[in-house]
Amino acid sequence: MRLTRREILCAGGGFAALTLSSSVAWTDDIVDIAMKARDDGSQVWFDPIGVLIKQGQTVRWTNLNPGNSHTTTAYSPKNFGRPLRMPKAARPWASDYLLPNETFSVTFTERGVYDYFCIPHEHAGMVGRIIVGEPAKNGWTQLDGANGDLPEEALEAFPTVEEIMAKGVVLRA
Amino acid sequence: MKELALAVAVTTASSFSAMAASDVVKSPPAAPYEQVSKLVKLPDFLPGMGQLFVDPATLPAGPFLAYDHDGKLASTIYMLPIKELNPDKRFDNLAAPGGNVDHVDVYYNAGHPGVPEPHVHVVLWHTSAADEARVAK
Repeated sequence: MRLTRREILCAGGGFAALTLSSSVAWTDDIVDIAMKARDDGSQVWFDPIGVLIKQGQTVRWTNLNPGNSHTTTAYSPKNFGRPLRMPKAARPWASDYLLPNETFSVTFTERGVYDYFCIPHEHAGMVGRIIVGEPAKNGWTQLDGANGDLPEEALEAFPTVEEIMAKGVVLRA
Repeated sequence: MKELALAVAVTTASSFSAMAASDVVKSPPAAPYEQVSKLVKLPDFLPGMGQLFVDPATLPAGPFLAYDHDGKLASTIYMLPIKELNPDKRFDNLAAPGGNVDHVDVYYNAGHPGVPEPHVHVVLWHTSAADEARVAK
C-alpha cells in the first residue's frame, strides 16, 4: 500500500507529532489561527494564513493584537453579500468583532475550500483559506466569477490550494 | 487704530484657542466628543495612541483626541482614507483644539472599526517624542 502524506500523518500518531510538529493541522487537536498586526497597525494578518484540516476538526481564531479588533467572516452572500467562496452545503460563519484575547471557533464538517476575511481589513489583504479534507470536485474554485469584487490585496494574499495541500500549514510570507 | 484692531483680533483668537484647548486638555473632552470604544468595538486604550475620543459627525477624518493613562491629552489624530487622497477630495478646516504641537507623525494604518479601510494617521503630538511612552502600552 502506498501511503500518501495525509495517511502517514494520520496513521503515524506520535511519530507524526514529533517529526512534523508545525503541521498541527493533521492532528486531531483544535487548530489555532492567530489574528496579528504590527504595533502601529500598518500590517494585519491571519497566522497561519492557510491550513489543511480533517472533516470534523475545529479551528479556533484568537485576537492576539492588543491594539485592534478583528473578525473571521466567511465569504458568503449571507455575510454582507460577499461572493461565495466556500462549499454551498456548509453554513457560513461570522464571528463579529473580537477584542484582544477573545476567541471564536468553528467545526468544519463539509469537505472543500473555505475562504474568509476580516471585515475592517479585507482591503488590507487580511484573508485566510482553510481546506477540509481536499478540494471538492467542481467546487467554487473552478467557477467563473468566483473572485467577485474582492480587493486585489485580498486576492493576492490567499495561499494557493496546491501550496496548502503540499505543506498542510502555510504561514504568512 | 489699525494696529489696535489687529491686536484685539489676535488676542481674541488666542483666547478662543486657549479656551478650546482647556476644554480638551483633560479626559473626557466635552460634547460632542464621545469615547471611541463606546462607539465601536475597539479596545479602550490603544497601545501607541491612548484612549480615543471623537465627534462622530467628523468621521472618518476626526480629529481624534488621544489621552494617556492619567487622562492628559497626548495627541490629536486625523485619519485620512487612502482612497480619498485624490484630486477630487480635500480635507479642509479640520478642527485642531489640542493646543501647542511639539511634533508630527504620519503613518499608514490598515484599518479598524470606525475607519474600516486603509488610511493615514496624521498625529499632532502635544508631548515631546520622549513622552510618547506615556501611551505606548
